[in-house]
Amino acid sequence: MKFLDLLKLIAGNLSRRKGRVALTAIGVVIGTAAVVILVSLAIGLQENANQQLYGIGDLTQISVSPTYPEGGGEKGGQPSQPKLLTNQAIEEIRAIPGVVAIIPHEYMNAGMMAYYDKLEGGFGATGVGTSELAELGLSATQGSTTLQKGEIIIGSMIPSNFYNPRLRPGQDPPPPPDLYDKKIKIVFIKWDPSGAEIKKTITFRVAGVLKETRSGPDWSVYMRLEDVKAINEWATGQRINYNKNGYSMVIVKVDDVNHVLDATDKITELGFQAFSPQSFVEGINNFYLILQVIFGGVGAIALLVAAIGIANTMAMAILERTREIGLMKAIGATNRDVLAIFLGEAAGIGFVGGLGGVIIGWLAGQGLNVVAIVYLAGQTATQGGMPPSVAVSTPLWLPIFALVFATIIGLISGLYPALRAATMIPVLALKYE
Amino acid sequence: MSAAFIRIVGLKKHFQMGGTTVRALDGLDLEIVQNSFTVVMGPSGSGKSTLLYLLGGLDRPSAGQIDVAGQRLDQMDENQLAIFRRKSVGFIFQSFNLIQSMNALENVTFPMQFAGVAPKERNSRATELLKRVGLADRMHHKPNELSGGQQQRVAIARALVNNPIMILADEPTGNLDSGSGISVMQMLAELHKNGRTVLVVTHDPRMKHFATHKIHLLDGKVVSEDEYERASLDALKFTEQAANLGEAHE
Repeated sequence: MKFLDLLKLIAGNLSRRKGRVALTAIGVVIGTAAVVILVSLAIGLQENANQQLYGIGDLTQISVSPTYPEGGGEKGGQPSQPKLLTNQAIEEIRAIPGVVAIIPHEYMNAGMMAYYDKLEGGFGATGVGTSELAELGLSATQGSTTLQKGEIIIGSMIPSNFYNPRLRPGQDPPPPPDLYDKKIKIVFIKWDPSGAEIKKTITFRVAGVLKETRSGPDWSVYMRLEDVKAINEWATGQRINYNKNGYSMVIVKVDDVNHVLDATDKITELGFQAFSPQSFVEGINNFYLILQVIFGGVGAIALLVAAIGIANTMAMAILERTREIGLMKAIGATNRDVLAIFLGEAAGIGFVGGLGGVIIGWLAGQGLNVVAIVYLAGQTATQGGMPPSVAVSTPLWLPIFALVFATIIGLISGLYPALRAATMIPVLALKYE
Repeated sequence: MSAAFIRIVGLKKHFQMGGTTVRALDGLDLEIVQNSFTVVMGPSGSGKSTLLYLLGGLDRPSAGQIDVAGQRLDQMDENQLAIFRRKSVGFIFQSFNLIQSMNALENVTFPMQFAGVAPKERNSRATELLKRVGLADRMHHKPNELSGGQQQRVAIARALVNNPIMILADEPTGNLDSGSGISVMQMLAELHKNGRTVLVVTHDPRMKHFATHKIHLLDGKVVSEDEYERASLDALKFTEQAANLGEAHE
């Protein structure tokens, strides 16, 4: 039997029992709609969570810190060695597959105070072992991300750290200054053993202002590693040897998000503290994946009940149409033809129900979105924070999957009745009363 | 005399019915020549319908050989039997067995769907056949809008669409008034004239006048016409005696 003829015959057979097909399909409609809307809800929640994570930083980065022995390190008899980020250690990390770059960081140890115009502000500074901050996944709104001698690059929130110390009560604070391409005086402070302050003033040009990331870099001032090293040496009075003391922290860049977790594990095996935002994101994603499976499972139970309905309807249909089956065989239908017809009818009920369920589920999701966003936007407006952009999110694969799934459920439900129909002895089927 | 078109040797068909074994056919031997019009007669329970269904490949024998046009039906699997029914056999039933949801034209085209005939070809063949059985103006009517005779003519057209070599009819006039019955018989006779082998199971004595061959069945075996008549007479006498006995008691 040709496929097109088969489809037409199935459609014809289903349409002559419209009422019963519709009643049976309602179960599938409910199940499919439940799957679509619940999974959409789980995906919507996940997207919201990921949105809040936006700014967690470049996901291909791993920040690595040295490990110092814990308090009772010598209890076991052997003093445990601190694992420091020396140049040699960095070469070990560089050998890990997937690692494309390693950017050492050095924190400023001296106290700092910055002056611009009549304003002053306090912040910390980080020295980076690269002249190109774009390597850290950062970009600039003003100026460039290229760091040269005598320059600093500032995070987006730094200007708002500046205040006017001579502001009288009741006076409006000045707006955050535009610091790009301005010269800023930075006073570094150390204390001698007697507790007296010793100051050192250096002027830097602001070479760039970074784009907002909603994370650490917004509050950072980036300097060249050499500058921070020089000031730290001044502050502590000791020479810093990276081969011996190691860096305070290094950022390891990996070529692909999918290699981040492996590389993180390898670095931890080497004995360092490694943290990647990716492991955090992965954990959250796993949680939402489980949520999707659970929600989908609830819908699937409804589909299972619907499947029993389909099986029942098909079993009844086959009893009623026994003579018709006998006739089809008499005029030359093979067992496979009969099987295909009845399987097709069962799958057709699944498909019709699935189609209805997908449409209803999708519409309900859109409706929920409108209601939820209006409500949540109202809530966040009073409490502050970012309003969610979606409550329910239906990716394209979901309705397609749901439709295919409902059809397959129908097909499976029809398997037993259709097999019975196909294997009927023609003469008995013809004589069936 | 032409060679046997149908050759049956030692054919047995037994059923289990409520613990007892029913021997519908019990060692039947039979030969039927090509292009014959054979009437199979016999009282109910003589196995004549069973014989027809076995010849048409709708059922399988318990034992024995069935050879139709050189094909051994008893050795075929389900699939081969389906192909055999599709290509070589046209069935006509007492109760027509039309599909109620399909109109006359669709009922006639239906077998060609299983044969994989293209839609255009299907329609032209079915239309042609419906015209030949005199239903040119009833093609788009559903079975319940047709008289019994018209329904049986649709069924005859359906039996012919795949151009079978053999027509098997099971009581084709059983549900028809005498006029419609005669016209169905005439159609069967015409099919025979056109070169097909026709086998009709019937109680209708008028069918004898169209037949070239007669087969009489009693208790699952072929008997001669004389034996058959004698048995019929005995049965008649027995019935009369029983009736007389009943009257005497009253």
